[in-house]
Amino acid sequence: MVMSNSSRTLSSVLGKFGIGMTLLVEVILFSQFSAYFFTAENILNVSLQLSITAIIAAGMTFVILTSGIDLSVGALVAFTGVIATSVLKLSIPLLISFPLAIVVGLLIGVCSGAFAGVCVTRFSITPFIATLALMTIFRGAAYMYTDGRPIWGLPPEFSLLASGRLFGIPIPTLITICVYGAGYLVLHWTRFGRYVYAVGGNREAARLAGINTNRVLVSVYAICGVLTSLSGILLAARVNSGQPNAGLMYELDVIAAVVVGGTSLSGGRGTIVGTLLGAVLIGVLRNGLNLLNVNSYVQQVVVGLVILVTVMMDQSKKK
Amino acid sequence: MTRPLSLLLTLAICSLLIPSCTKKEEGGHAKIIGVTLLTRGHVFYKDLEEGLRTEAVKNNYELIVTAGEFDLGKQIAQIEDFVARKVDAIIVCPVDSKGIGSGIRKANQAKIPVFTADIAAFEGDVVSHIASDNELGGKRAAEYLAKVLHGKGKIAIINQPTVTSVLDRIAGFKKELEKFPDITVVADVNGDGVRDRSLQVSSDILQAHPDLDGIFGINDDSALGALDAVQQFKRKNVVIIGYDATPPAVAAILRNTSLKADVVQYPKKIGSSTISAIKDYFAGYSVEKRYAVEVGIVDREALRKIPVQ
Repeated sequence: MVMSNSSRTLSSVLGKFGIGMTLLVEVILFSQFSAYFFTAENILNVSLQLSITAIIAAGMTFVILTSGIDLSVGALVAFTGVIATSVLKLSIPLLISFPLAIVVGLLIGVCSGAFAGVCVTRFSITPFIATLALMTIFRGAAYMYTDGRPIWGLPPEFSLLASGRLFGIPIPTLITICVYGAGYLVLHWTRFGRYVYAVGGNREAARLAGINTNRVLVSVYAICGVLTSLSGILLAARVNSGQPNAGLMYELDVIAAVVVGGTSLSGGRGTIVGTLLGAVLIGVLRNGLNLLNVNSYVQQVVVGLVILVTVMMDQSKKK
Repeated sequence: MTRPLSLLLTLAICSLLIPSCTKKEEGGHAKIIGVTLLTRGHVFYKDLEEGLRTEAVKNNYELIVTAGEFDLGKQIAQIEDFVARKVDAIIVCPVDSKGIGSGIRKANQAKIPVFTADIAAFEGDVVSHIASDNELGGKRAAEYLAKVLHGKGKIAIINQPTVTSVLDRIAGFKKELEKFPDITVVADVNGDGVRDRSLQVSSDILQAHPDLDGIFGINDDSALGALDAVQQFKRKNVVIIGYDATPPAVAAILRNTSLKADVVQYPKKIGSSTISAIKDYFAGYSVEKRYAVEVGIVDREALRKIPVQ
């Protein structure tokens, strides 16, 4: 246990170094080619853009650390968005409907995550299948609920949640910083955090060591769910409407951020700081390519290549 | 107990259907046209259906209107039913352009003419395809943008280059812009036709081009995403043109936002043109493989005079 602990930190430091290099190269290149890239306004813009996937990726890190996966996040973003926005459409004072929308939205995430956790533990369904099913259920439910049309005409105050700034920094960016701060504390400074690593490293050994592995698993999926719903609410505020087709394929962006950040899909190894760097790497890449007006077909290939190269560097350092 | 009950139910449902079947006998040789729409739960198709019905009444055709409701299997079964009933013509708005081929071929084998409206089929023999002129829609958008910008400026396109109808819109848009050498397309990005992605790419474009003057969104979600970005960065001078005139877009135009105009399709006209094409076919005239139905453009002024929905 002690051995794997120290080797884990070593490899994760090297992993971070690898991704740090890629990120640095990226930033230097984009600054060279676009005058608008390295400006305060664009940096805040990128931070705002990547906040949506970064917040989900923080939750996904917990899940992947236990060697699980959550494919339902993109659909959950849409479902939370349409439900939260329809709460805002109720004819009750904004002072009540605003907090109610947020509470209802977050509750959806907690319940969905806990349900996925129960499927994985009590019913022994593999995480891939359990969350795949939830993905299509939520996407279908979002379309059913809205009849395929967006929910719009929301109170303008709602969009402040995404467009508002505190000390000059966009609110979603601040929320992202808080989420990662809290995630870091939980993962590295609490007993629960150590349990997460233990369950991912060897679930049976963790169980024999007296850890309630089922409770840990249900908790990580619930954490992922609530952070996904938080993102869903922020996204709905950004587009000032509930879109049933929001968050399409977000699960892949999020998983890519986690893996690029050095977390192993087989569990037990990785850090939340790595995930943040992974999310930044991909977010900056997308932004930079758009600034340079790179063709969208080419963009997809470039993003895929960068993911591959980063993970390759990470893997070779571990050997 | 349950079996007799379900039998009874089936009989009851059948008896409900019979009156519509017997109707044709009275009309003598009235032509019957089977219709399967994509859905009946959307304003666009409701209007298209209305266009079909008014024109059919004029020509004394009887319509049997069904809808696939986004279920390809269901839609193919509906075509099979039309073939079994030996209708005189079939109108399809395919759920899936490729998958519908097997259904259309069944009608071909029975020598029943098939017409597609709004969405084309890639397989099977179709007499004629009647749909909005997407190229003209792109042209209208470019004309409007050029007028507002006085023939000069930098513009961006929020694209969705994987969809054929969108490619047509862009082709028409770019072709019209050739007349205005002082207008340059500085960015052409993929917003996947959805509002959240379009917002992301639009904010990048606004960063890259502080002097941007206009944006063309290939559908309303793209245009509304661009509007979100423009409002976020307070770039009020950027003019946005959308496509489809959906209720949220119409509301945004009426609120006097940066979204200034929208291309509108005329689904009723698609419906009536489809029946006209069938009429020509019945009369033995040659029918064009493709009928392009005109589209228009509406801005705040036009919307105030005649509300779209």
